[in-house]
Amino acid sequence: MSTAMNFGTKSFQPRPPDKGSFPLDHLGECKSFKEKFMKCLYDNHFENALCRNESKEYLECRMERKLMLPEPLEKLGFGDLIAGKSEAKK
Amino acid sequence: MGGLWHPGWRRVAFCGWRWIHPGSPARAAERVEPFLRPEWSGTGGPERGLRWLGTWKHCILPARHPALQPPRRPKSSDPFTRAHVEEWRRRNKTTLTYLAAVAVAMLGASYAAVPLYRLYCQTTGLGGSAVAGHVSDQIENMVPVKDRILKISFNADVHASLQWNFRPQQTEIYVVPGETALAFYRAKNPTDKPIIGISTYNVVPFEAGQYFNKIQCFCFEEQRLNPQEEVDMPVFFYIDPEFAEDPRMINVDLITLSYTFFEAKGGHTLPVPGYN
Repeated sequence: MSTAMNFGTKSFQPRPPDKGSFPLDHLGECKSFKEKFMKCLYDNHFENALCRNESKEYLECRMERKLMLPEPLEKLGFGDLIAGKSEAKK
Repeated sequence: MGGLWHPGWRRVAFCGWRWIHPGSPARAAERVEPFLRPEWSGTGGPERGLRWLGTWKHCILPARHPALQPPRRPKSSDPFTRAHVEEWRRRNKTTLTYLAAVAVAMLGASYAAVPLYRLYCQTTGLGGSAVAGHVSDQIENMVPVKDRILKISFNADVHASLQWNFRPQQTEIYVVPGETALAFYRAKNPTDKPIIGISTYNVVPFEAGQYFNKIQCFCFEEQRLNPQEEVDMPVFFYIDPEFAEDPRMINVDLITLSYTFFEAKGGHTLPVPGYN
């Protein structure tokens, strides 16, 4: 943590998160989704682009269990996944 | 005495003398003055002297004689210039008053600026940062920059007095700017008492930190862990797509996100960074 007391030196300014803080998942309700996501990451050498479906499912689980404020998935950056799914359904 | 020492002739003689001997007329006056006194000659008198003064205008000497000069009045008593001086003084006074008022107003403005800026930040929601807040529309519309792969590595720290086991669940993750990503930390409370922790984060390098946007995480709020409880703590973030266009970030391929947990004393609220 850096304090901004030194004039002229670069310092880090922490910013609060946009949507606030995740409530803690005390009961482990979304643990299975998390495990799926972590496994996907391990298998794909930690590439996030390949595991976005799993992360979307984890966030959906949270929203269902009231552990996260429900938000349309497009606003969370999953717009392309939604569009892909609706195209596949057609 | 008449003849050459007649007063008129006296002046001619003196002026001629002066013409030959240019110099300080005052000194000459001292020498010649006795000859020019009216009582020197029985004839004439002061009027005659004055009359002759007129004929010898270019001859300075007589003009210096105090008795022969027109009485000089002091400048301030002259009604014309007195009004001018008064006017200037009044104008100077008003100008000075205006200047003093401006100076005091500037001083007051510098003191008033602090609460005014606070008000401005609250209304516009800028929160002390020059960049307007990241709106969710931006997330919706952002396009991932697929050719720039960044490695985000995770670090977890705990304050010495906090007895949690806190660690990341993945060592690194590869993302591209403009793509939202999810990462997990795990925290366990091995003690027999519930402990409340509060965390903050740090991003290295500092310049890249401004592009690191967290949509949701677990920082800056008190998190309570019951005895022997273990929880997963997710961090949902993205790197701003403008990262790819910043020339200073050309060599940045590794960004480290570091979280530190501290023990929160019950009842204390940490100020959230930004302008409250």
